[in-house]
Amino acid sequence: MTAPTDRDLIVRARRGDGDAFSELVTRYQINVFNVCYRILHERGEAEDLAQDTFMRAYNRLEQFDLEREFGPWVRRVAANLCLNHLESQKVSAPLDEDRDADESQRPEKQVEARERSEQIRGALASLPAHYRVVVELRHYQELSYDEIAAELKIPLSDVKSHLFRARKLLAEKLHAPD
Amino acid sequence: MHLTDEQLNEYLDNEIPDRADIESHLASCADCAARLTVLQSLFAELDSLPDIALSTNLAVRFASTGQLVPQLPRWLTLTATLQAALALIALVAAAPFVMNLLPAIETPSFTEIFFRIQSQWLNLFTTITNYQLPNLPTLPPLQIPTLTLSLALAGASLLWLVGNGLLLRKQIR
Repeated sequence: MTAPTDRDLIVRARRGDGDAFSELVTRYQINVFNVCYRILHERGEAEDLAQDTFMRAYNRLEQFDLEREFGPWVRRVAANLCLNHLESQKVSAPLDEDRDADESQRPEKQVEARERSEQIRGALASLPAHYRVVVELRHYQELSYDEIAAELKIPLSDVKSHLFRARKLLAEKLHAPD
Repeated sequence: MHLTDEQLNEYLDNEIPDRADIESHLASCADCAARLTVLQSLFAELDSLPDIALSTNLAVRFASTGQLVPQLPRWLTLTATLQAALALIALVAAAPFVMNLLPAIETPSFTEIFFRIQSQWLNLFTTITNYQLPNLPTLPPLQIPTLTLSLALAGASLLWLVGNGLLLRKQIR
Protein backbone atom coordinates (compact mmCIF):
# COMPACT_ATOMS: atom_id res chain seq x y z
CA MET A 1 0.00 0.00 0.00
CA THR A 2 1.36 3.42 -0.96
CA ALA A 3 1.74 6.11 1.67
CA PRO A 4 -0.92 8.83 1.55
CA THR A 5 0.12 12.10 -0.09
CA ASP A 6 0.33 15.34 1.89
CA ARG A 7 -2.80 16.46 0.10
CA ASP A 8 -4.74 13.36 1.27
CA LEU A 9 -3.57 13.93 4.83
CA ILE A 10 -4.58 17.59 4.73
CA VAL A 11 -8.06 16.70 3.46
CA ARG A 12 -8.45 14.14 6.25
CA ALA A 13 -7.07 16.55 8.87
CA ARG A 14 -9.59 19.16 7.78
CA ARG A 15 -12.33 16.69 8.70
CA GLY A 16 -10.85 16.47 12.19
CA ASP A 17 -8.66 13.37 11.78
CA GLY A 18 -5.91 13.89 14.37
CA ASP A 19 -3.87 10.92 13.14
CA ALA A 20 -3.69 12.39 9.63
CA PHE A 21 -2.33 15.67 10.95
CA SER A 22 0.01 13.78 13.25
CA GLU A 23 1.43 12.03 10.15
CA LEU A 24 2.03 15.43 8.54
CA VAL A 25 3.82 16.60 11.68
CA THR A 26 5.98 13.46 11.63
CA ARG A 27 6.97 14.18 8.03
CA TYR A 28 7.95 17.80 8.55
CA GLN A 29 8.90 18.19 12.20
CA ILE A 30 12.67 17.88 11.62
CA ASN A 31 12.55 20.49 8.83
CA VAL A 32 10.44 22.88 10.86
CA PHE A 33 12.49 22.40 14.01
CA ASN A 34 15.71 23.12 12.09
CA VAL A 35 14.25 26.32 10.64
CA CYS A 36 13.49 27.42 14.20
CA TYR A 37 16.85 26.27 15.52
CA ARG A 38 18.83 28.08 12.80
CA ILE A 39 17.00 31.30 13.60
CA LEU A 40 16.72 31.04 17.39
CA HIS A 41 19.80 28.98 18.21
CA GLU A 42 18.21 27.67 21.39
CA ARG A 43 16.86 24.11 21.47
CA GLY A 44 14.02 24.56 23.96
CA GLU A 45 12.67 27.66 22.25
CA ALA A 46 13.09 26.08 18.83
CA GLU A 47 11.03 23.05 19.90
CA ASP A 48 8.33 25.28 21.38
CA LEU A 49 8.18 27.39 18.24
CA ALA A 50 8.10 24.28 16.05
CA GLN A 51 5.12 23.05 18.06
CA ASP A 52 3.44 26.46 17.73
CA THR A 53 4.10 26.33 13.99
CA PHE A 54 2.14 23.11 13.64
CA MET A 55 -0.67 24.43 15.83
CA ARG A 56 -0.88 27.51 13.62
CA ALA A 57 -0.72 25.36 10.51
CA TYR A 58 -3.62 23.27 11.81
CA ASN A 59 -5.68 26.36 12.55
CA ARG A 60 -5.02 27.68 9.05
CA LEU A 61 -5.55 24.37 7.29
CA GLU A 62 -8.99 25.38 6.04
CA GLN A 63 -7.48 28.32 4.16
CA PHE A 64 -4.52 26.31 2.83
CA ASP A 65 -4.49 26.08 -0.97
CA LEU A 66 -4.29 22.38 -1.83
CA GLU A 67 -2.43 23.19 -5.03
CA ARG A 68 0.55 24.41 -3.00
CA GLU A 69 3.11 22.20 -1.30
CA PHE A 70 2.70 21.79 2.43
CA GLY A 71 6.42 21.52 3.30
CA PRO A 72 7.63 24.90 1.98
CA TRP A 73 4.48 26.57 3.33
CA VAL A 74 4.89 25.26 6.87
CA ARG A 75 8.60 26.17 6.87
CA ARG A 76 7.73 29.75 5.92
CA VAL A 77 5.14 29.83 8.72
CA ALA A 78 7.93 28.71 11.08
CA ALA A 79 10.32 31.43 9.85
CA ASN A 80 7.67 34.10 10.34
CA LEU A 81 6.80 32.86 13.81
CA CYS A 82 10.47 32.91 14.80
CA LEU A 83 10.85 36.46 13.50
CA ASN A 84 7.80 37.59 15.51
CA HIS A 85 9.19 35.80 18.54
CA LEU A 86 12.58 37.51 18.22
CA GLU A 87 10.99 40.88 17.68
CA SER A 88 8.83 40.44 20.78
CA GLN A 89 11.92 39.59 22.83
CA LYS A 90 14.27 42.17 21.33
CA VAL A 91 17.25 40.46 22.93
CA SER A 92 19.78 38.26 21.28
CA ALA A 93 19.27 34.58 22.03
CA PRO A 94 21.80 32.99 24.37
CA LEU A 95 23.92 30.19 23.01
CA ASP A 96 22.55 26.73 23.59
CA GLU A 97 24.91 25.08 26.05
CA ASP A 98 23.39 21.61 25.69
CA ARG A 99 24.33 21.16 22.07
CA ASP A 100 27.93 20.19 22.63
CA ALA A 101 27.22 17.42 25.09
CA ASP A 102 28.94 14.05 24.60
CA GLU A 103 31.77 15.25 22.35
CA SER A 104 34.50 13.33 24.12
CA GLN A 105 34.07 10.08 22.20
CA ARG A 106 33.70 11.50 18.70
CA PRO A 107 36.41 11.04 16.11
CA GLU A 108 38.53 14.14 15.55
CA LYS A 109 37.15 15.01 12.12
CA GLN A 110 33.60 14.77 13.32
CA VAL A 111 34.42 17.03 16.23
CA GLU A 112 36.01 19.55 13.86
CA ALA A 113 32.98 19.49 11.55
CA ARG A 114 30.72 19.87 14.54
CA GLU A 115 32.74 22.80 15.85
CA ARG A 116 32.57 24.50 12.45
CA SER A 117 28.81 23.96 12.33
CA GLU A 118 28.53 25.55 15.73
CA GLN A 119 30.63 28.51 14.57
CA ILE A 120 28.26 28.99 11.64
CA ARG A 121 25.22 28.68 13.91
CA GLY A 122 26.81 31.09 16.35
CA ALA A 123 27.53 33.57 13.56
CA LEU A 124 23.93 33.29 12.34
CA ALA A 125 22.64 33.80 15.88
CA SER A 126 24.67 36.99 16.24
CA LEU A 127 22.85 38.62 13.30
CA PRO A 128 19.89 40.96 13.81
CA ALA A 129 16.54 39.15 13.66
CA HIS A 130 15.53 40.39 10.21
CA TYR A 131 18.90 39.43 8.72
CA ARG A 132 18.63 35.92 10.16
CA VAL A 133 15.20 35.36 8.66
CA VAL A 134 16.23 36.67 5.24
CA VAL A 135 19.25 34.34 5.23
CA GLU A 136 16.97 31.45 6.27
CA LEU A 137 14.48 32.15 3.51
CA ARG A 138 17.14 32.62 0.82
CA HIS A 139 19.68 29.92 1.69
CA TYR A 140 17.58 27.20 3.32
CA GLN A 141 14.15 27.71 1.78
CA GLU A 142 15.52 28.93 -1.57
CA LEU A 143 13.04 31.76 -2.05
CA SER A 144 13.72 34.45 -4.64
CA TYR A 145 14.18 38.09 -3.61
CA ASP A 146 10.62 38.87 -4.70
CA GLU A 147 9.19 35.93 -2.76
CA ILE A 148 11.06 36.98 0.39
CA ALA A 149 9.75 40.53 0.02
CA ALA A 150 6.19 39.21 -0.33
CA GLU A 151 6.59 36.79 2.57
CA LEU A 152 8.00 39.34 5.01
CA LYS A 153 5.97 42.24 3.59
CA ILE A 154 9.06 44.41 3.18
CA PRO A 155 10.36 46.29 0.10
CA LEU A 156 12.66 44.47 -2.34
CA SER A 157 15.42 46.96 -1.55
CA ASP A 158 15.25 45.92 2.14
CA VAL A 159 15.51 42.25 1.20
CA LYS A 160 18.69 42.95 -0.75
CA SER A 161 20.28 45.18 1.86
CA HIS A 162 19.44 42.76 4.72
CA LEU A 163 20.80 39.79 2.78
CA PHE A 164 23.99 41.43 1.54
CA ARG A 165 24.80 42.95 4.93
CA ALA A 166 24.08 39.65 6.63
CA ARG A 167 26.48 37.85 4.31
CA LYS A 168 29.13 40.48 4.85
CA LEU A 169 28.81 40.11 8.62
CA LEU A 170 28.85 36.32 8.38
CA ALA A 171 31.95 36.35 6.17
CA GLU A 172 33.71 38.67 8.62
CA LYS A 173 32.90 36.39 11.55
CA LEU A 174 33.62 33.09 9.84
CA HIS A 175 36.65 34.04 7.79
CA ALA A 176 38.32 36.24 10.37
CA PRO A 177 41.85 35.09 11.26
CA ASP A 178 41.99 33.41 14.71
CA MET B 1 36.11 49.38 -12.67
CA HIS B 2 35.25 46.52 -10.26
CA LEU B 3 31.95 44.75 -9.71
CA THR B 4 29.92 45.89 -6.71
CA ASP B 5 29.05 43.60 -3.78
CA GLU B 6 25.44 43.84 -4.89
CA GLN B 7 26.29 42.55 -8.37
CA LEU B 8 28.30 39.64 -6.98
CA ASN B 9 25.50 38.68 -4.57
CA GLU B 10 22.84 38.90 -7.24
CA TYR B 11 25.02 36.92 -9.63
CA LEU B 12 25.34 34.04 -7.15
CA ASP B 13 21.65 34.23 -6.30
CA ASN B 14 20.72 34.02 -10.01
CA GLU B 15 18.87 37.30 -9.68
CA ILE B 16 20.77 39.22 -12.36
CA PRO B 17 19.70 39.14 -16.01
CA ASP B 18 23.00 40.05 -17.76
CA ARG B 19 25.13 37.21 -16.42
CA ALA B 20 27.40 37.19 -19.48
CA ASP B 21 28.70 40.71 -18.70
CA ILE B 22 29.54 39.69 -15.14
CA GLU B 23 31.22 36.48 -16.27
CA SER B 24 33.40 38.27 -18.84
CA HIS B 25 34.50 40.76 -16.19
CA LEU B 26 35.26 37.96 -13.69
CA ALA B 27 37.39 36.21 -16.31
CA SER B 28 39.61 39.26 -16.63
CA CYS B 29 39.63 40.66 -13.07
CA ALA B 30 41.48 38.70 -10.39
CA ASP B 31 40.26 40.98 -7.57
CA CYS B 32 36.57 40.45 -8.36
CA ALA B 33 37.12 36.71 -8.94
CA ALA B 34 38.74 36.47 -5.49
CA ARG B 35 35.81 38.34 -3.88
CA LEU B 36 33.42 35.96 -5.64
CA THR B 37 35.35 32.95 -4.29
CA VAL B 38 35.02 34.27 -0.71
CA LEU B 39 31.29 34.69 -1.20
CA GLN B 40 30.99 31.23 -2.75
CA SER B 41 32.79 29.63 0.18
CA LEU B 42 30.33 31.35 2.54
CA PHE B 43 27.45 29.92 0.51
CA ALA B 44 29.03 26.47 0.71
CA GLU B 45 29.47 26.77 4.47
CA LEU B 46 25.86 27.82 5.00
CA ASP B 47 24.71 24.94 2.78
CA SER B 48 26.84 22.48 4.75
CA LEU B 49 25.02 23.14 8.00
CA PRO B 50 23.54 19.75 9.00
CA ASP B 51 20.04 19.22 10.34
CA ILE B 52 19.96 18.34 14.02
CA ALA B 53 17.62 15.85 15.65
CA LEU B 54 14.63 16.70 17.76
CA SER B 55 14.66 15.60 21.40
CA THR B 56 10.89 15.10 21.41
CA ASN B 57 8.28 13.86 18.97
CA LEU B 58 6.00 16.78 18.17
CA ALA B 59 3.48 14.52 16.44
CA VAL B 60 2.47 12.84 19.72
CA ARG B 61 0.42 15.81 20.81
CA PHE B 62 -1.74 15.60 17.70
CA ALA B 63 -1.93 11.79 17.61
CA SER B 64 -3.02 11.49 21.24
CA THR B 65 -6.06 13.65 20.55
CA GLY B 66 -7.22 11.04 18.00
CA GLN B 67 -10.08 13.06 16.66
CA LEU B 68 -9.37 16.77 16.37
CA VAL B 69 -12.26 19.20 16.35
CA PRO B 70 -13.27 19.42 12.68
CA GLN B 71 -12.81 22.88 11.30
CA LEU B 72 -15.90 24.55 9.95
CA PRO B 73 -15.54 26.14 6.51
CA ARG B 74 -14.95 29.86 6.68
CA TRP B 75 -18.15 30.67 4.78
CA LEU B 76 -20.17 28.67 7.32
CA THR B 77 -18.61 30.44 10.27
CA LEU B 78 -19.27 33.83 8.67
CA THR B 79 -22.86 32.90 7.78
CA ALA B 80 -23.55 31.68 11.32
CA THR B 81 -22.08 34.86 12.80
CA LEU B 82 -24.15 36.99 10.42
CA GLN B 83 -27.30 35.05 11.28
CA ALA B 84 -26.67 35.48 15.00
CA ALA B 85 -26.11 39.22 14.54
CA LEU B 86 -29.32 39.57 12.47
CA ALA B 87 -31.31 37.59 15.05
CA LEU B 88 -30.05 39.86 17.82
CA ILE B 89 -30.97 42.98 15.86
CA ALA B 90 -34.44 41.53 15.12
CA LEU B 91 -34.91 40.71 18.79
CA VAL B 92 -34.05 44.25 19.85
CA ALA B 93 -36.30 45.72 17.14
CA ALA B 94 -39.24 43.46 18.11
CA ALA B 95 -38.93 44.02 21.84
CA PRO B 96 -41.38 47.01 22.05
CA PHE B 97 -44.08 45.09 20.13
CA VAL B 98 -43.65 42.00 22.28
CA MET B 99 -43.92 44.14 25.41
CA ASN B 100 -47.29 45.48 24.13
CA LEU B 101 -48.61 42.00 23.39
CA LEU B 102 -47.49 40.39 26.64
CA PRO B 103 -50.23 41.79 28.93
CA ALA B 104 -52.90 40.40 26.56
CA ILE B 105 -51.63 36.86 27.03
CA GLU B 106 -52.72 35.14 30.21
CA THR B 107 -49.58 33.77 31.70
CA PRO B 108 -49.55 31.90 35.02
CA SER B 109 -47.59 33.52 37.80
CA PHE B 110 -44.32 32.05 39.03
CA THR B 111 -45.98 30.83 42.26
CA GLU B 112 -48.68 29.06 40.23
CA ILE B 113 -46.05 27.27 38.09
CA PHE B 114 -44.10 26.32 41.18
CA PHE B 115 -47.17 24.80 42.88
CA ARG B 116 -48.11 22.87 39.74
CA ILE B 117 -44.65 21.35 39.50
CA GLN B 118 -44.66 20.56 43.21
CA SER B 119 -48.05 18.81 43.10
CA GLN B 120 -46.99 16.78 40.04
CA TRP B 121 -43.82 15.74 41.81
CA LEU B 122 -45.78 14.72 44.93
CA ASN B 123 -48.14 12.63 42.80
CA LEU B 124 -45.20 10.89 41.16
CA PHE B 125 -43.55 10.30 44.54
CA THR B 126 -46.73 8.80 46.01
CA THR B 127 -47.13 6.50 42.98
CA ILE B 128 -43.56 5.26 43.31
CA THR B 129 -43.75 4.66 47.08
CA ASN B 130 -47.11 2.80 46.82
CA TYR B 131 -45.94 0.59 43.97
CA GLN B 132 -45.82 -3.12 44.85
CA LEU B 133 -43.87 -5.70 42.95
CA PRO B 134 -45.89 -8.72 41.71
CA ASN B 135 -45.30 -11.96 43.63
CA LEU B 136 -42.56 -14.01 42.01
CA PRO B 137 -42.62 -17.84 42.13
CA THR B 138 -40.36 -19.12 44.91
CA LEU B 139 -37.49 -21.44 43.99
CA PRO B 140 -36.54 -24.46 46.09
CA PRO B 141 -33.40 -23.81 48.23
CA LEU B 142 -30.13 -24.94 46.61
CA GLN B 143 -28.34 -27.84 48.28
CA ILE B 144 -24.62 -27.50 47.38
CA PRO B 145 -22.11 -29.54 49.37
CA THR B 146 -19.37 -27.47 51.04
CA LEU B 147 -16.59 -29.32 49.19
CA THR B 148 -18.14 -28.61 45.76
CA LEU B 149 -18.60 -24.93 46.66
CA SER B 150 -14.97 -24.64 47.86
CA LEU B 151 -13.67 -26.32 44.70
CA ALA B 152 -15.79 -24.05 42.47
CA LEU B 153 -14.55 -20.92 44.28
CA ALA B 154 -10.91 -22.10 44.06
CA GLY B 155 -11.34 -22.84 40.32
CA ALA B 156 -12.92 -19.45 39.65
CA SER B 157 -10.10 -17.68 41.54
CA LEU B 158 -7.49 -19.60 39.58
CA LEU B 159 -9.15 -18.76 36.27
CA TRP B 160 -9.34 -15.10 37.31
CA LEU B 161 -5.62 -15.03 38.17
CA VAL B 162 -4.58 -16.78 34.93
CA GLY B 163 -6.84 -14.54 32.85
CA ASN B 164 -5.46 -11.34 34.39
CA GLY B 165 -1.91 -12.66 34.05
CA LEU B 166 -2.44 -13.21 30.33
CA LEU B 167 -4.00 -9.78 29.88
CA LEU B 168 -1.25 -7.96 31.76
CA ARG B 169 1.63 -9.95 30.25
CA LYS B 170 2.31 -7.42 27.47
CA GLN B 171 2.17 -4.44 29.80
CA ILE B 172 4.59 -6.01 32.30
CA ARG B 173 7.13 -6.48 29.49
